[in-house]
Amino acid sequence: MSAAVPALLDIRGLSRRFGGLLAINEVTMALEAGVITTLVGPNGAGKTTLFNLITGYLAPDAGEVLWKGRSLRGMPHWAIARLGIARTFQDLRLFTHMSVEDNVLSVMERSSWLWQPGGRRERRAKSARAAAILEATGLSDRARVRAIDLAYAERKFLSLARIMATDAELWLLDEPASGLDLRSYDRFLELLRAKAREGVTVCIIEHNFDIVQRISDRIVFLDSGRLIADGEPKAILADPHLANLYFGEHAA
Amino acid sequence: MLFLQLLVNGIQVGALYALTAVGFSLIFGSTRIFHVAHGATFTLAGYVFYELYSVAGAPWIAALAAATAGAGIFGVLVDRFVYAPIQRHEGSFFTVFVASFGITIVVQNLVGTAFGRGFVSISSPLSRSVELAPGLYAPPTAAISVLAAVVCFVGLHFFLTRTHVGMALRALSENPDLVRVFGLDPRRLSSYAFALGSLLVVPGALLTGATAGLSPALGNHVMLISLAATIVGGVGSLRGAACGGLLLGLAENLALWQLDPQWSEAVTFVVLFLFIVFRPAGFFGRVATQ
Amino acid sequence: MIAYATNLATLIAINAILAITLNFIMGYAGIFSLAHALFFGVGAYTAAWIAMHVTGDFFLTVSAAALVASLLSLALALPALRVREVYFVAASLGLQVLGTTVFAEWKSVTGGIGGVIGIPPAELFGVPISDPYAFLALALACLSLVIAVTYALVRSSFGRSLTAIRDSESAAAAYGKNVALIKTLAVVVSSALCALGGALYAFYLSFINVESFGLDTSILLMAMVIIGGTGTVLGPIIGTVLLLLLPAGLSYLSFLPHTEIGSIQQMIYGLAMVVLMIFRPGGLVGARSLGERK
Repeated sequence: MSAAVPALLDIRGLSRRFGGLLAINEVTMALEAGVITTLVGPNGAGKTTLFNLITGYLAPDAGEVLWKGRSLRGMPHWAIARLGIARTFQDLRLFTHMSVEDNVLSVMERSSWLWQPGGRRERRAKSARAAAILEATGLSDRARVRAIDLAYAERKFLSLARIMATDAELWLLDEPASGLDLRSYDRFLELLRAKAREGVTVCIIEHNFDIVQRISDRIVFLDSGRLIADGEPKAILADPHLANLYFGEHAA
Repeated sequence: MLFLQLLVNGIQVGALYALTAVGFSLIFGSTRIFHVAHGATFTLAGYVFYELYSVAGAPWIAALAAATAGAGIFGVLVDRFVYAPIQRHEGSFFTVFVASFGITIVVQNLVGTAFGRGFVSISSPLSRSVELAPGLYAPPTAAISVLAAVVCFVGLHFFLTRTHVGMALRALSENPDLVRVFGLDPRRLSSYAFALGSLLVVPGALLTGATAGLSPALGNHVMLISLAATIVGGVGSLRGAACGGLLLGLAENLALWQLDPQWSEAVTFVVLFLFIVFRPAGFFGRVATQ
Repeated sequence: MIAYATNLATLIAINAILAITLNFIMGYAGIFSLAHALFFGVGAYTAAWIAMHVTGDFFLTVSAAALVASLLSLALALPALRVREVYFVAASLGLQVLGTTVFAEWKSVTGGIGGVIGIPPAELFGVPISDPYAFLALALACLSLVIAVTYALVRSSFGRSLTAIRDSESAAAAYGKNVALIKTLAVVVSSALCALGGALYAFYLSFINVESFGLDTSILLMAMVIIGGTGTVLGPIIGTVLLLLLPAGLSYLSFLPHTEIGSIQQMIYGLAMVVLMIFRPGGLVGARSLGERK
């Protein structure tokens, strides 16, 4: 970690208040390229709010977010997304009445104009890529089904397929594995690790102790809007205070 | 003097709008149902009273009772037999809205077929104007309108703050999950909301009948006003809806000071449009929609 | 009898254009507008004015009508970008009421309540289209064009973006879609094509007045789309045919008093809306539901 190269994403002194509640309180952290960072902390710690601030869905009261050294302040939601920052939602927010395939295709077409961009060849290439993504997420035989008609685990994978279609360099995943059965989430972790090897930087909000342990290169601990610990998984998970504060609650 | 006269008219109309709008807002707040057929309730109540009192010659108190019962029952029936089945399988905003709109169309045309499409007026000695000051006229119905509004609001306030059902209704509009804590069935509560909200149109319907007259298309106007008042006041705030109704009644009448009468409705909608675009949360609203 | 059928077919073609363009924003973009008749009116008045004062050329008048309607449609796009659901329905209602008042009062252009009379027939390459069959052919050609354009848009990436925004606006934005731009484009396209219907209407009747462009028309168009099936290609066409055949069919039932036919028609479609929403919210064509939006 040399100081000369700017981090992929640099969060500096970020704060956001909701009424009387300080949801994010002077958080400073950086996300390095190719690293899987897990964001942990009790419910209401501000994890999703942090995602909302990074993606421009909310505006910070103080502080700023730098992407490759450039400030994202004042940029609209969709423009930040086009820089290469993609996210998933805890409640998925799939395009419910579109087919699985269209969900994926639609994400590939950001600047949809009144005409089809690209010729037949490009369209075919797009379909091929969509097919590959559906294959990887195990949704191939569900391609024509509407998202709303999918089973729970399939919806989770569609949410993942959608983010795979973006080409984004940074993935912000909001509890992507919650509620998955054992086999599904093995496949899910496999996919995630393969993506990280390709150079995608991942920041993931996760409650499941086992997943946190297996996937993280680094753990950031948030509590009441404050960053209270940041480091190697071993160190964080070994800290009895943190473990009690967080995993104790979830183990119960 | 014209201004004062318009002010008096505005207050009278505004008081009635406020009542009607609070009824709409109460229903919308506690059930999230966009009950545009509220205007149909208004028309029905007005025509029931007209038929019994002016046509059949029944005593006014009996006609009033019938109109009140009619409004309440209509509201509850619509909730039970139209909204409830829709919400059971779907519950999307648009579906409920469309059904409610359909009811409005049906009622408007039924009333039109039965009573004719022109204006009818409930004549009563109370609607004859009295000269309050030189050149300033007001009928006793103006005072009755304001009085009715005050009485209903005080009653509503007690109901919502002192009774179990009232408190549950308020809780429902704040946070639907809280209702289970009260141990009340949401369906039952929904019926209460519809009954109560629908009752609030009765003074407006009767007094409008006695002053401006009733017509089948009046329901549309009432619906627009209730909707506008609810939004201008801030969705979810009964106080806001009351202020919004009063404001719109005043705006509609005071506009006559400078503009021709055909523009008065347009004025209402310019106010509404500006609010929606620039201050969607209204006066007392808590959150915007997006 | 044939003249009667031709007349009905022409009116169906014109109304189908209106219903299809309304469905474009309602069914695909989730913009539930009660102001569609306004753009119908703007198209009709603009075409009438151009035809009477400038040129009767069909392409020029239609382009002018489409242009004016698309500019005015920005007034509808503005609230559509800011608010949803209740708020937007209310805003579009407000716009419709305001527009109707302007139509009735701006006497120098719209002729007020009396309307515009004596609109000359449309000219195609200098040839006036006054023959009803020729006009029907023109109307059907325009309808085919509107169907083709909307169908192509809906199936394109633009259509996918629209549907994505309708299903989840925040997710669409999170995946880089410029929601404001896409919604505005949808409204502009819909209004411009709707104005084409308005121009046809003005040329066909050679007389227009504010009665045709009021809230009742907006509601009728909404009923056509909903009864046929929102968000489907065939739905609005079927809805239009049904609702326009209804008064014709009713007039054959001799026991119904003639003066009440309009009322009975409205009662039937009002009732149809209620019953469909309870049992088949997707409309006659669409088996799918309108969707759960929060």
